[in-house]
Amino acid sequence: MPEGAAGTPEPIARLIEAFHKLPGVGPKSAQRLAYYILRAPEQEAAALAGAIQDVKSRIKLCSVCLNITESDPCSYCQDPRRDGSAVCVVEQPLDILALERAGAFRGRYHVLHGVLNPMDGIGPEHLHIRELLERLRDGEVKEVIMATNPSLEGEATAMYIQRLVSPLGVRVTRLARGLPSGADLEYTDDVTLARALEGRQEI
Amino acid sequence: MAERPRVYKTEGIILRRRNIGEADSIFTVYSKEFGKFDAVARGVRKARSHMRGHLEPLTRSRLMVARGRTLDVFTQAETVAPYRAIREDLERGAEAMYCAELVDRFAGEHIEHPGLYELILDVLDALETGLAAHVVRFFEMQILSLMGYELQLAACAVCAGRLPEEETLLSPVAGGLVCAACRATAGVGRLVSVRAVKVLRFARTTDVTGFAALRVDAELAAELHRAMTEMIRYLLDRELGSGQFVDEVNRMGRAEAKAGEAGVQLGQTT
Repeated sequence: MPEGAAGTPEPIARLIEAFHKLPGVGPKSAQRLAYYILRAPEQEAAALAGAIQDVKSRIKLCSVCLNITESDPCSYCQDPRRDGSAVCVVEQPLDILALERAGAFRGRYHVLHGVLNPMDGIGPEHLHIRELLERLRDGEVKEVIMATNPSLEGEATAMYIQRLVSPLGVRVTRLARGLPSGADLEYTDDVTLARALEGRQEI
Repeated sequence: MAERPRVYKTEGIILRRRNIGEADSIFTVYSKEFGKFDAVARGVRKARSHMRGHLEPLTRSRLMVARGRTLDVFTQAETVAPYRAIREDLERGAEAMYCAELVDRFAGEHIEHPGLYELILDVLDALETGLAAHVVRFFEMQILSLMGYELQLAACAVCAGRLPEEETLLSPVAGGLVCAACRATAGVGRLVSVRAVKVLRFARTTDVTGFAALRVDAELAAELHRAMTEMIRYLLDRELGSGQFVDEVNRMGRAEAKAGEAGVQLGQTT
């Protein structure tokens, strides 16, 4: 129970408790937010409550790519102008937004909703890998692009999926690794520098 | 162990990462001078973070850390060994993650475990240079000894009697091998072959390269793996997630080998 909850009317205490559960919100912030809502105009509070309810009732996972969506299949999976022969595999729905912002990919996506992290008990069965393999059955997809993060966990996930997908005769590629724009060579780690050198290009 | 100064320098192996807030992560490190500790790296998830690649799990890094009120904070990090071959190979990566999880589970925070740091480097170097994966059994035997769980392999762990050269019970409860007469008192365990007992004994007297040079066939490797997994599961009272992942990856490897064989046979008959 957050600090000072004794003597607080029950509805406020409940709201404080609810805010306290949100990531990054401590007991004091939870109190501040709750008292803000208490003082806020009726319609502002109702809008917040409505938005929370809508997000839970109207947003679902796309049955094809598992992206979060309001319509099933999602807009990327429905778009006939997108190239169905390339599927880009990402960890989180937010990664799709990042790739779309970059604007360089016109294929389809697949969201794993996580990354292999055996030490924290996240094994392959916790990710949407089975759905990906299912998608590859009809032979339309010719290339799977592994766009997991270039971290230990992301690399392990990419290698694991590659081992499952390659036998199906589908080409598996991995996003290149190198220097981010604005980086300092001096501070760059050895693996990134080595890969950047290996992937150098003529200018 | 020496009290940590306000700002301290050490060398360590990054064991694991937990993301917090917008762009921060907490890393668990096993360090040479200060044992296991947690510290936070601010802004490390941003693309331009200077410490980013130097704090990847399974990296050996030189670290500068400032003592904080609740949590220490990394101020500088520089890679000593990136263990690239480990992170670019699924099997070796899985074994290395398993070793890191063992360290994380067994080592106490801010407690000195003499010899453990060198042992971790030994096993990571061995996996990096492509020595046989059974070096992980050496690592398990050694870490058990360092943590005070040295297995009794020379005589019966219950009656201290002589052990005949035959299949013998390895009992987690008794903490070692148990002779036939004491089996009833030693609780559950697993019968291990004479070959396996010899390998386990050898792990105590040799170093990592000596152990890696042992020729261990698939059957013996599987037996040793099962026996040690059960021992560790009993001692830690939990299943290790990374251990299950190692099994999963090995299963996949065996299935691929089988498919490859079938393909070759098919090729021969046509």
